[in-house]
Amino acid sequence: MSVAPSKTSRAGLMLLQLGLCVVILLPFFWMVSVSLKPASEPFAIPARLWPQNPTLENYVTAFRPEFRTYFFNSVVVSLSTVVITVTLALFAAYSFTRTQMRAISVLMLLVIVAQMFPASAIIIPIYKMMKAANLLNTYASLILAYVTVTLPVAIWMLRGFLSRLPVALEEAAAIDGAGPFKIFFLIILPLCKPGIVATAVFVLIVTWQEFLFALSFTSTKDMRTLPVGMNDFIGQYGIRYGELMASSVLISVPVIAIFFLLQRQFVAGLTAGAVKG
Amino acid sequence: MLKRDRWLTWIFVTPAVLLVAVMMYYPMIGTVIESLYSTSFINPTPKFVGLAVYQKIFGSADFGQIVWNSCVWTLAVVALQNGFGFLSALLLNQKLPGQGLMRSLILLPWVLPGVVAAILWRFMYDPQLGLINSFLISAGFGDQGLAWLADSSTAMAAAVIAAVWKGFPFCTIVYLAALQNVEEEQMEAARIDGAGAVRRLWHIVLPSMKEVIVINFILTTILTFNYFDMIWVLTRGGPQNATHIFPTKIYELGFGQFRFGEAAGYGVVSIVILALLITLYFLAQGSGRKAAS
Repeated sequence: MSVAPSKTSRAGLMLLQLGLCVVILLPFFWMVSVSLKPASEPFAIPARLWPQNPTLENYVTAFRPEFRTYFFNSVVVSLSTVVITVTLALFAAYSFTRTQMRAISVLMLLVIVAQMFPASAIIIPIYKMMKAANLLNTYASLILAYVTVTLPVAIWMLRGFLSRLPVALEEAAAIDGAGPFKIFFLIILPLCKPGIVATAVFVLIVTWQEFLFALSFTSTKDMRTLPVGMNDFIGQYGIRYGELMASSVLISVPVIAIFFLLQRQFVAGLTAGAVKG
Repeated sequence: MLKRDRWLTWIFVTPAVLLVAVMMYYPMIGTVIESLYSTSFINPTPKFVGLAVYQKIFGSADFGQIVWNSCVWTLAVVALQNGFGFLSALLLNQKLPGQGLMRSLILLPWVLPGVVAAILWRFMYDPQLGLINSFLISAGFGDQGLAWLADSSTAMAAAVIAAVWKGFPFCTIVYLAALQNVEEEQMEAARIDGAGAVRRLWHIVLPSMKEVIVINFILTTILTFNYFDMIWVLTRGGPQNATHIFPTKIYELGFGQFRFGEAAGYGVVSIVILALLITLYFLAQGSGRKAAS
């Protein structure tokens, strides 16, 4: 459904759209503006929306060694999680959509339901398990936790894509003598590439910003991820907002860039599950 | 995978099932067990205390406040996110210039990492340096900035606004996709019959989107109820518990004070309350369905 509005209401709607744009973008604009503000330039009232002498000095200070460590940790943890989650979810969702075994369907539904479990309510037993396994303060503890919490959603998203692929294709390939692995890698995988991309971007956005597990499971600076590191910066540097905003920009750029690059597929994948059920 | 590949089907699902069983279902039971034991920083060895933890939780002065805060926080954020989400979806569904760009930009707050969004809003609310006070002062509302996050009468509202900004774009995108699925012929027929925009919205658009709306309410309720990052970075639950919700309280008790038993007890109670909230939606949907038929 799309509507072509009349000319008079059109102007009003454009105004509303502009308002929406300002609401969305103003905080971003300010984040960038303050990150470019030299430390010597005071905050004024009324606020100056753009610094008089923009400089990159805050970025130079923000990109200190600790920040680089946090960044590296975040990259390692997020990328590992994306690869493992998407792989496991793809296998599981494929079985789920193609099987007629009741037991599998029930198990998969139980897995998908788990996305409703509150992380804060189950974190203490998970913390104790990690402690018992000597995994606290390691990449493994974070990757394991992230893979688990993202799996249910990933399976749910991929299930939407896989259930729309016609089974006839696989049956034809099987008659031609292709084994199950050949079918999976040569037919299924290429066909659900958009679904895989959408799921991967979603998992990346979720893991890149995960805070609670990272805060609870890491105890030394060399294992901190970016969100926890940022939280530490607030305490350490008080109101040095210029630096804080510069780090914020540096953290946000990778996910925002990936989001814009893959947006079309991502939005289609995100809404496919919610809208088509 | 065809019917004959039974063993393969099992191999494909096993890793996911095992992980979720061990790392989510087992901890769910673990939390209940944990809540029957008492530990503290001075006494780290768990001691079985039965239901004493719950007695302590229900008897504490904080408890009522946390339940109240959690409900206010969740209901306000969910209602506003879905309201703004729906209205902005209606707007972005009109044929207007700049629409394509708007549809790209709108998801930006949702993509922004949670901690960054929280720090950004903390800065916006800063009494001296914040943009909000600067606007208010230049517009003539007083000559001194308000400490939005440090005042217990405004802290919760401030946190709600920040969370709505961060989350409503997700609702917009979901509702926009649902709007585009509304049948064109039905709308056209209603238009020819002389039904105005409001009546078309009420009688055709909303009923056809009902399922999406209910699912989205449930989804946003779960996410908001468990939303730790925003409140922790903005206020850490303060001032004087004014913004403490279940997740922040659980973190503070467990990882701040090592009172794991009490934290787990709060966890169990939080699960029960969340389950009640979701049951309410299902009941509301059920009664709505009855009324419609």
